Amino acid sequence: MRNLFNFLYRFRAWIVFIIYVVISCTLLFNNNPYQRHVYLTSASRVSASIYEAGNAVTGYFHLRDINDDLQLRNAQLENEVIALRAQVKRQQLEGMYDTLTVIEPLQQYKFILATVINNSITHSNNYITISKGEMDSIRPEMGVVDRNGVVGVVNVTGPHYSRIISLLNPDFRLSCKIKGSDVFGSLVWDGKNSREALLEELPKHTVFAPGDTIVTSGYSAVFPEGIPVGIVKENARNTDDNFFTLRVTLLTDFSKLSTVRVLVNNNLEEIREIENTNNTTSNNTTRQ
Amino acid sequence: MTKTILQFLMLFILLTAAQVLVFNHLCLFDVAIPLAFIYFVMRLPVTLSAIGVLTLSFLTGLTVDIFSDTAGMNALACTILGGIRKPVLKLYFPREEDLTIPEPSMRSLGVGTFMKYNINISLIYCMMFFSIEAFTFFNPAKLIMRIVASTLLTFIIIMCIDNLMDRRSEKRL
Repeated sequence: MRNLFNFLYRFRAWIVFIIYVVISCTLLFNNNPYQRHVYLTSASRVSASIYEAGNAVTGYFHLRDINDDLQLRNAQLENEVIALRAQVKRQQLEGMYDTLTVIEPLQQYKFILATVINNSITHSNNYITISKGEMDSIRPEMGVVDRNGVVGVVNVTGPHYSRIISLLNPDFRLSCKIKGSDVFGSLVWDGKNSREALLEELPKHTVFAPGDTIVTSGYSAVFPEGIPVGIVKENARNTDDNFFTLRVTLLTDFSKLSTVRVLVNNNLEEIREIENTNNTTSNNTTRQ
Repeated sequence: MTKTILQFLMLFILLTAAQVLVFNHLCLFDVAIPLAFIYFVMRLPVTLSAIGVLTLSFLTGLTVDIFSDTAGMNALACTILGGIRKPVLKLYFPREEDLTIPEPSMRSLGVGTFMKYNINISLIYCMMFFSIEAFTFFNPAKLIMRIVASTLLTFIIIMCIDNLMDRRSEKRL
């Protein structure tokens, strides 16, 4: 017994070292992104409030770019309003009130506006922290978009802050399709460039051209059909696979995120319930 | 003693704050990220016990991890760095008893020795950190680019911080 204590005492530094390494490795390899505790992420109270204070300062740096973008967007919307007004007038004149239906993929969705307080694009697994949490009725697995396109999915929520898995994270796969067709593939980031991602598993018979728009497929409760994601750049791989892999230029500029919209789907609970009664495998956790 | 503890507490807070608010968002040429918070581990007094050094370096890594959502990467690399610090210092400064000030810095080691110590620690840390990060997908050319560029940037920033630290304490004397 004394020998044991002597032994432990002599190698105490090594034992402490091994304990710390084991703790770190547990944290490192236990990285199923949906099961992390909120207090060890940037959505925890302390770290998020520090980021919020930092953001109060750094938020000014991008204001010029954001302003330009907003003006551009404003101009586009104004044009659209003018065009729509003209169209409505025409329709009214033609007396076609009954046929005037608005196709609105976002109809069943409500938005919550949130400010980005921390954001990274340089790591291999990127996350975003926003300043709204459970108190503002944000729940995990809600979709997040900004004015240009898809941003990510809510991952961990604290009372006042939440963390989003960014599209720039290889753990996150988004079911997408080429606008105007019904074949779908899955979009995943390859970790190289923050403006580009890959659209994989696209069947070989797909017809596409560079410049085509990629939109969400709507095969999940998270994103409705038709939200823009990116633009086809080129065919990334020329292999004998049965699938195409396309390189896609993302519409969202992740280095300039400031305000995002969280989609609240009123039917989410119902869809989940139906899926859970039928589902035998649980691989729908990371595939949105 | 209390003064030293307070000094290190201040240094800890300043370095982690600078790391998570400024350095993490700095990414020169898309490759170089300064990991300057390791200066805290570098500067811990040589008289501190091995367990103390390991605990403090683990906590430093963990704090930075929590803020930057890297879950264990910095904690692991920092713990190993805490263990490796002493042998590296011995390489360039064999007799610790000669140190008049127990904290390794440019003033106590001399500029040349400190530069060698600094470049070694920075290189080791960047190698560990980016290799751990590369577990998810492997891209050798980019990995080496990131290690080399980040090491240089970290080295330069740590030299600046060290210079500032000692200038401040000289003024006070």
